Amino acid sequence: MIYSKDVTSLPDLAHQIVSPRFDVITQPVDVLSLQNLVMYAIENGIPIVPRGNGTSGWGGAIPTRGGLCISLSGMSEILYFNEFESAVTVETGITWRDLLAFLGRLGFTLPVYPSSATAATVGGFVASGGLGIGSTRNGNILKQVLGIEAILPNGKIVRLGKLLLDPKNDVLKERVDEGNSWLSEELSDAGLGSPEQETKLFTGTYGTLGIITKVTLKTIPNLQLIPFTCSFDSIADLARAADRILSDVKPYFIRFLADNYTSKLRAVNEYESGKYILTGALLDTIYQNEDNIEIIKTVTDEEKGQILDDKRAWFYWSERLYPLRIKRHGPSIVPAEMLAPMRMLPEILEKTKAELRNSNVAIEGTLSNDGTTSFMVWILDDERKKVSFTIGWYRSFQIASLAERFGGLPYAVGLWNGRHARKFYGSDVYNNLKVMKKKLDLNDIMNPVKVFGGRVTIGRESMLLGFLLGFIVTMIGGWVLPGLLNLGWLNQFLSSSLFQFIYFPILGLAGLVGGLVVVLITRFMRLNQALAIGIPVLRILSKLLRR
Amino acid sequence: MTKLDFVEKYGQENEPYVCASCGNCTLVCPVYSELKWESYGPRGKLHVVKSIIEGESEFGKDFAHKIFLCNLCEHCTSVCTTGISLDRFWEVARAEVRERDLLPAPARFVLKSVKERGDIMWMGSADRLLWMEGVEELVKGRILKKAKVAYFLGCNVSLKSQLHDVAQSMVKIMDYASVDFTLLGEKEVCCGAPLSWAGNLKDINEMAEKNLAMIRELGIETIVFSCPSCIQTWSEYSKFLKEDKSIELLTASQFINRLIREKRLHFEEQPMITTTFHDPCISARVLKATEEPREIMDEIPGVYHVEMDPSRQNTRCCGSHGLLDVVDPVLSSKIAERRLRDVTVTPATRIVTECPR
Ligand SMILES: Cc1cc2nc3c(=O)[nH]c(=O)nc-3n(C[C@H](O)[C@H](O)[C@H](O)COP(=O)(O)OP(=O)(O)OC[C@H]3O[C@@H](n4cnc5c(N)ncnc54)[C@H](O)[C@@H]3O)c2cc1C
Ligand code: SF4
Ligand code: SF4
Repeated sequence: MIYSKDVTSLPDLAHQIVSPRFDVITQPVDVLSLQNLVMYAIENGIPIVPRGNGTSGWGGAIPTRGGLCISLSGMSEILYFNEFESAVTVETGITWRDLLAFLGRLGFTLPVYPSSATAATVGGFVASGGLGIGSTRNGNILKQVLGIEAILPNGKIVRLGKLLLDPKNDVLKERVDEGNSWLSEELSDAGLGSPEQETKLFTGTYGTLGIITKVTLKTIPNLQLIPFTCSFDSIADLARAADRILSDVKPYFIRFLADNYTSKLRAVNEYESGKYILTGALLDTIYQNEDNIEIIKTVTDEEKGQILDDKRAWFYWSERLYPLRIKRHGPSIVPAEMLAPMRMLPEILEKTKAELRNSNVAIEGTLSNDGTTSFMVWILDDERKKVSFTIGWYRSFQIASLAERFGGLPYAVGLWNGRHARKFYGSDVYNNLKVMKKKLDLNDIMNPVKVFGGRVTIGRESMLLGFLLGFIVTMIGGWVLPGLLNLGWLNQFLSSSLFQFIYFPILGLAGLVGGLVVVLITRFMRLNQALAIGIPVLRILSKLLRR
Repeated sequence: MTKLDFVEKYGQENEPYVCASCGNCTLVCPVYSELKWESYGPRGKLHVVKSIIEGESEFGKDFAHKIFLCNLCEHCTSVCTTGISLDRFWEVARAEVRERDLLPAPARFVLKSVKERGDIMWMGSADRLLWMEGVEELVKGRILKKAKVAYFLGCNVSLKSQLHDVAQSMVKIMDYASVDFTLLGEKEVCCGAPLSWAGNLKDINEMAEKNLAMIRELGIETIVFSCPSCIQTWSEYSKFLKEDKSIELLTASQFINRLIREKRLHFEEQPMITTTFHDPCISARVLKATEEPREIMDEIPGVYHVEMDPSRQNTRCCGSHGLLDVVDPVLSSKIAERRLRDVTVTPATRIVTECPR
C-alpha cells in the first residue's frame, strides 16, 4: 500500500482508472536477481513498475494494473570513480544525498541533482529527466548521463553510452555482450544508431522501456560555493534581473519563489513574506565569485531589488532541498508543473493566478540554461473534503494546457501527462520511442500505461455507473426518439394496446444491452480517453459547485 | 473512518495528511536502515495511520508492534520537510496501542515497574544508593541538602552497575570545582520518560512532580542531568516547569563546560589519546547541546578529537532509546553495531558520550 503512491494525493476517483495497489513488492539486491524477476514477470504476464523512492508526483512509480513493484533502493553501491575522467558510476538505488556526500569527501560534486536529493534515487531522476540544483548552468540531468546499464522488458541486459566500470569486477560482461548485440540489430532495424548513441531511449522515459541498473554520471570539482538571494516587489523586476544575471554571471543555480510561496513560508515571516525571491548559488573560483557577486549586487540594485545578507542567502540555499515546506497549508497538495520560456514568466504567473484565483496556490521554479524555467504550481487543498478535492483534481491538468498556450510544455510526462507525450519528446523522438516500446516490450508489462497510455482498469463503481448510464440513456432514447423522429408507424404502434404488452419488456432489454455496451466500451477505454472525458466533466462540476 | 482518540486528543490528526511523502524521514531512520521495508520507516507508518483513519486498514497487532520498533531518536523529526513532530506522533501512537491493549510485553513491564518501584528495572529506592560505593565521603551530607545545584542521575546511571562510575566521576568533578550540590538519593524516582515511551502520557507530569516537589523545597536553581531524555521529558511534560522558567536544566557536559569557562576546573597533561564523540540523539537534536562536549575535550591536554560521520544533529542512534532495547533486542543491537562501524573507520581509540543507554 505504501509503495503504491507517490507524493501526490490522489482522489479516490483516480482509482477508478488505475489500480490502487501493487500485488507484490520486491526489492532485488543485484542485477542478476532483478533479471530473474523480470523473466518471471514475462513468463507470467505480470506488469512490473520500477520504483526509486517514490518522490515524484506524476504517477510514474504507481501501479496501473497491479503487478510487481520493483523497489531499487536495495541496489545502492558506488561502483567506480575516476577524477581524471570526471565520472562516477553507481547502482541506481543510491540516493543523491549519499552520492553527494561521497563525492564531497573527495572534493567533487555533481553538475545537477534534484531538490529531492535527500531521498530521491539516482535512477528515479535519470528515468524522469528534469531540472535540478545546478541546471541553471548545466541544464537537464539527462545531459549529465554518460552511460547506463539497463534490463530490457524482455530480460536482456544492455549497456548504452559510455558506462565506466572496473573490468576486473565486471561479472555481467557475457550477458551484456549478448544483450547489446541483440539490441544493436533491433536499433538498426528501427533506423536508430548504435547502443553507444541511444542512451536517451532509457533516460527520461519513466522506466517504460527498461529498468536502469547502473549509471555513469559526470562530476565536477567542488569549487567555492557562494549562495545569494535577492528580493523584489514585482515579478517583472525579478525576471529582468534574472535574465541579466543569467547572461552576465552564469550561476550554478537560480530558483525563484513567487509572492504566494514566500507568504506561506513560516521561517520568512519576519523577513521576506509576500516578496518575490530570486535565490541561487555560484560555484566557481574565489576570484570569479568575488567579481560575480558584485555584478549580482549591481543588477539587483538597478532592477529595484534588494540583496539579502549572507545569513539569509545561506538560509535559502538550505531551503532548496525543502520545496514542500508549504504543504502544511494544505494539508494536501496537487502539483501542476510546466516548462516555459523564462521571458514569459510575469505573464504566466499572472495568468496562472487568474486561472486558479479560487484556489490556494504557491508558485516557484528553477531556471535552466536554455532560456526556459520550470514553473511549479503547488495547489493546496484538503483531501478529506472528498467531493471538492475530487472535483478540483482537474486543475493540475489545466496547468498543462495553460503551458501550451504560452509555448511551453508540461514539466513531466509520467502517467498523468501521457496525453502530451508527443509534444513533450518531439514527434520524431516519440515515434522512435513507440517503435522501440513495441519491439522491446511485446507483452506491455514494463511500467504499462505510463508515457504511451494504454487500457485502464475501470473500477467497479465506474462500471456500475457506466451500466446505469447506458441503461438510462437507451431507455429514454427508446421512449422519446420515435416521437422526436416523427416515425408515424411506430407512434401508431406505441399508442396501440399491443404496445402495453411487449414494448416495456423490449425497452428494458434494449436498456440492458445499452448498459452492457457502455460497460464494454469502458473495458476498452484507454487512459487518455478516460481523462479526455473526465477532466471536462470535473471542470463543469467545479463551475456548477462554485455557483 | 476510524477514530483515533489519542491522535485527536493530542492534536495530531492533521499530521498524516500534512506529510508530503518526501521520504526524508525514512532515509535517516535507523530502524528502516536495518529492516529496509517502508512499513518499518516513519513515512510508511504515517501512511498506515492515515489509511486507518480513512477506514482502509485496521489498527491491528502487527501495526501496534511496528509502532514500537522505533528508537524515538528524533532523527525523523529533525529532517521532516513539513515540520511534523514525528516523535511526539509516535508517542501518541503508542498511547493508542496501549488504549487498544496491544502493548508489547516489555512495555507493559516497564509501566508496571515505574508505577510500583519508581524505576524501569524492577529494583527499588534502596538500590539508588549503590553507586555511592567508593565516593561515600564526597556524598556524605549531600542527600536532600539545600543547595543551588542538584545532580539528577536518572534510572540508568543510578541503577546499572556498569554506569555507576559516571555518577561517581560527576560527584568528583563537582567536588573538585567546589560546587555546592545536592542529591535526591533514594528519594529520586524515574523522571517519567519511559511512561511516554510505553504509551502512558497521562502520568508523566505526576512522576516529574514527585522529583520536582523536592527540588523546589531545596531551593534549587540548576539541575544537572546524566541523561538528556530526563531533560526532554520534563521540558515537554512538566506543567510546573512550563510555567516557572526559573529552574535551569543542564546536561552534565553543559555544566562541566560552564565550570571550565569559570576556571573552576583545570586539567593536567596526560598521555595522548584520540577520541571521538557519539552525540546522544536527544542532546543533539532536541537540546542542541553539541558543542559543549567538544569544547571540554578541546580543553583537555593530550586529547586529540576526531569526528565521526555522521555526527552532531545528524548523529546515528545507538539503538537503545525508546524501549527498543527491550522490545526487540536483536534489532537494537544491529543498530548499535552500525554506529560502532562509524567508530571503526576513525582513528579514535576512545568513544566519548553522555548517552546513558
Ligand atoms: C521535495 C521534492 C523535490 C523535488 N525536486 C525535484 C527537482 O528538483 N527536479 C525534478 O525534476 N523533480 C523533482 N522532484 C520530483 C522527484 O523527486 C524526482 O523526479 C526524483 O528524481 C524521483 O526520484 P525517485 O527515486 O523518488 O523516483 P520515483 O518517484 O520512485 O520514480 C520516478 C520514475 O522513475 C521510474 N524509475 C525509478 N527508478 C528507476 C530505474 N532504476 N529504472 C527505470 N525507471 C525508474 C519510476 O518508474 C517512475 O516512473 C522533487 C520531489 C520532491 C518530493
Ligand atoms: S524516531 Fe528514530 S527510529 Fe523512530 S521513526 Fe524516527 S528516525 Fe526512526
Ligand atoms: S519527512 Fe515529514 S513530510 Fe517527509 S515523508 Fe517524512 S513525515 Fe512526511
